[in-house]
Amino acid sequence: MTFESVRLEVNGVVYERVVEPRRTLCDFIREDLELTGTHIGCEHGVCGSCTVLLEGEPVRSCLLFAVQVPGASITTIEGLTGPGGALGPLQQAMWDNHGFQCGFCTPGFLTTITALLREGDVSEETLREELSGNLCRCTGYQSIIQGVLDAARASGPDTETSR
Amino acid sequence: MRRFVGESARRVEDPRILTGRGRYVDDVRLTGMLHATFLRSAYPHARVGGIDVEAARQLPGVVAVFTGAEIAPVTKPIQIGTNVPGFTCPEFWPLATDRVRFVGDPVAIVVAENRYVAEDACDLIDVEYEPLDPVVSFETAQDPGLPPLFEDVGENVIYRVENSYGDVDSVFASAHTVIRETFHQSRQANVPMETRGAVADYNPASRELTFHASTQNTHGWRFQLANYLDQPLERVRVLCGDVGGGFGLKLALSREDLTLAAASRIIGRPIKWIEDRNEHLLASGHAREERMEVEAAVSADGLLVGLRARMLLDQGAYPSIPTASAIYLHVIRDLLPGPYRMQALAFEGACVVTNKASMVAYRGPWEIETWVRERLIDLIARELDLDRIDVRRRNLVDGAPEDRSITGSGLDGISSRQCLDLALEKIGYAQLVRDKAAARETGRLLGIGIATYIEFAPGWREWRSQFSEAASARIEPNGHLVVYTGQGPTGQGHETTLAQIAADALGVPLDHVRVVHGDTSITPLNLAGTGGSRAGTWASGSVMMATKRVREKALAVASAMLEIDAADLDIVDGMVTPRGVPSEPTPLAQVANTAYLAQRTLPADVDPHLAATETFTAEGISGSGWSGGTHVCLVEVDLETGGVRILRYLVAEDAGQIINPAIVDGQIRGGVAQGIAGVLYERAAYDADGQFLAGTFMDYLLPTASEIPFIEIVHYEGPPPGEGVEFRGVGEGGAIVAPAVVTSAIEDALGHLGVRVTEQYLPPGRILELAGVVAVGG
Repeated sequence: MTFESVRLEVNGVVYERVVEPRRTLCDFIREDLELTGTHIGCEHGVCGSCTVLLEGEPVRSCLLFAVQVPGASITTIEGLTGPGGALGPLQQAMWDNHGFQCGFCTPGFLTTITALLREGDVSEETLREELSGNLCRCTGYQSIIQGVLDAARASGPDTETSR
Repeated sequence: MRRFVGESARRVEDPRILTGRGRYVDDVRLTGMLHATFLRSAYPHARVGGIDVEAARQLPGVVAVFTGAEIAPVTKPIQIGTNVPGFTCPEFWPLATDRVRFVGDPVAIVVAENRYVAEDACDLIDVEYEPLDPVVSFETAQDPGLPPLFEDVGENVIYRVENSYGDVDSVFASAHTVIRETFHQSRQANVPMETRGAVADYNPASRELTFHASTQNTHGWRFQLANYLDQPLERVRVLCGDVGGGFGLKLALSREDLTLAAASRIIGRPIKWIEDRNEHLLASGHAREERMEVEAAVSADGLLVGLRARMLLDQGAYPSIPTASAIYLHVIRDLLPGPYRMQALAFEGACVVTNKASMVAYRGPWEIETWVRERLIDLIARELDLDRIDVRRRNLVDGAPEDRSITGSGLDGISSRQCLDLALEKIGYAQLVRDKAAARETGRLLGIGIATYIEFAPGWREWRSQFSEAASARIEPNGHLVVYTGQGPTGQGHETTLAQIAADALGVPLDHVRVVHGDTSITPLNLAGTGGSRAGTWASGSVMMATKRVREKALAVASAMLEIDAADLDIVDGMVTPRGVPSEPTPLAQVANTAYLAQRTLPADVDPHLAATETFTAEGISGSGWSGGTHVCLVEVDLETGGVRILRYLVAEDAGQIINPAIVDGQIRGGVAQGIAGVLYERAAYDADGQFLAGTFMDYLLPTASEIPFIEIVHYEGPPPGEGVEFRGVGEGGAIVAPAVVTSAIEDALGHLGVRVTEQYLPPGRILELAGVVAVGG
């Protein structure tokens, strides 16, 4: 069994760990870095629970090996939170709108939506399309959509909402 | 006073969930913890010959490999079903021993330093299988020529029930018309986003098992673990943190859980098992595979006067622990008349075993009663050329105190009729009918679906004696309240709703209440956990009772302190306040502090222990105690693609007094989404040889944000609630009625083609077949 050293940055902190080449990025984040906010829902890239931001772009951390992204900058759900556990604007909007129920899909939705809000286009229709890569079994999605629309409104005048 | 009840209070659970600080079972990490995986059968039905595990045991990093024969001696055989007379329960073991009975049946457990190594080792195990004929369909299950799955049972029909209510023969003899039809449902699965998993931690020195679970039912699992591991009950503790959904699945202790606990006891170290999604779809359990043949005796004006129903339920291979599938036949039988006046019912039901994954409870496991009954009402309307809404109105009860189902259930307060009117008004039914006709002119196929239902939750009142629901409450020395419940929430927000109830019952701010669950060593015993929407009525009722009791105790202390009669004292916003007299309020904290820390200042007859445990007695529930309603939808069917798009979906629901509207609406929408999915997207399919065909999320299709429509909700407001327990369960309703609504709409859209929808699963290919666009099976 060979091992490789992986050095990367997660939520602004640089980590270095020695892992097997086959270690998935999600296991690396959860097991080696002990950041358990990222959840593993299917391990075949469909459900989106394990989505993290890689250089700001949402990726499925179950479909990547840690050794594939040396030197990368990654953001997980923990990185969306302010100092002392303060909720960021998206988290606050989700709280206000009862966005989630069981919370298992939540890390994937929050990271995906964070990237989406940076792009700016958040009509309900595009949201439904853009979020169709993340599965939620509890809510029927309406409260999540509502939360995103609310967060978009809260994030300022440069973001247009269509309804 | 009700201050928080009725408010969409933000959830207590959310700050941790939204920041990645929840604690799910896969987040548990214990010192010395090992990791397990299961080797599973690739055969639906086979005899197990030799198992060679030597290569697996030799792999570096592997700590142990156990076969069924090695786990069996440290457990008792599993034997359930004693609660249903006549249910023939086979004996079986945590791991398969001499025979495998479905694709995914666990054959061996590998315990290793990490999961990667454990999975490598699974690949090195060599099992000799001798394939047997699989029993896959209802037909083969009833064929006495095929070998029984369980030799000790002797046949594959493991339960039969037959009951009759009213004078069935005479009702049929005098009927204007008798309508016959057979309705089929397909296999579906619960599919919570968090799969099953556990950490079993047996300490050989203290001989204690601590079981970290993802469960809806901590206390039930504790009993089962203690029983099957033959472990003293007081040395089993079940802990459960956040749970990533269950929908009924996580009520059942699994054979894998038992195996894990047994392995931990043998090894003496904690072992984690987290199921992967393929295992989950294959082996965690399925539901809804049922068939019902009906004969309806109908009067000329569309009254459904009598019904003969024969149903089959496919429970898969093994009974789930501890609920016998047989019990669902009883529930289905009793609910089949629904909110309709029916004079007679003859019901025959049977459960069969097949070489497929076990049946588990899934969000309203009795759902077929609503689907078949509502399909039947549409069918009666069509056969007699009557309006289906008129037919419903003619048959519905009023919910009067004397209204009673032919099967015995009281229907007092059932507002199906009112919800029907409300739904039609709010959706603008007349306009919908015009829109449908106008669309038809332009070649678009719109259809309107409608169905009404009763939400049988939390079961019959008599169940309270079988599964008591208690809560404990304790005022802390700082005047805050801690509530302990045996409920096992999986996303429903009990930490919020029960706190709302307790805060009002005591008279303190919401953030002065903390709800504790998920630890059998401190929560009141509760064998049922969270299921059948028990929390809505029963847990809420018990929390209200326990909190009122500690309020009385606090007021008795305050009365002694202030020398004011307790009846003249109130607690408002955490302050003890004399009623009607302007006077300085006393903080509840000061009262509690006195009770605990300055008892000597109180008279001897004042109880200073501000804690109480109360068991819910169903007192204070008015009428049937059930919720219900009517849903209406508008769909468009595209005969180019076979696709069905839902254009409108409206819920008119009577949920009694609503504790937290946002949470209630979330429950309803989530349930509707699952019901829609059962018709349009999801099927846990097997081929004719018993091979499983839906092992990934690319085969088992969960609906996404693109498929689930905006769901409109309107709440029926009945008589103003009193001070009793007027909260109703709402967890199942959406999932129960949505399949009936959507299939009704599809039939309506295709009615001009003579299509009659008698099956529930209608993917695009099947729609095109039904519409005659493509040949059946083509």
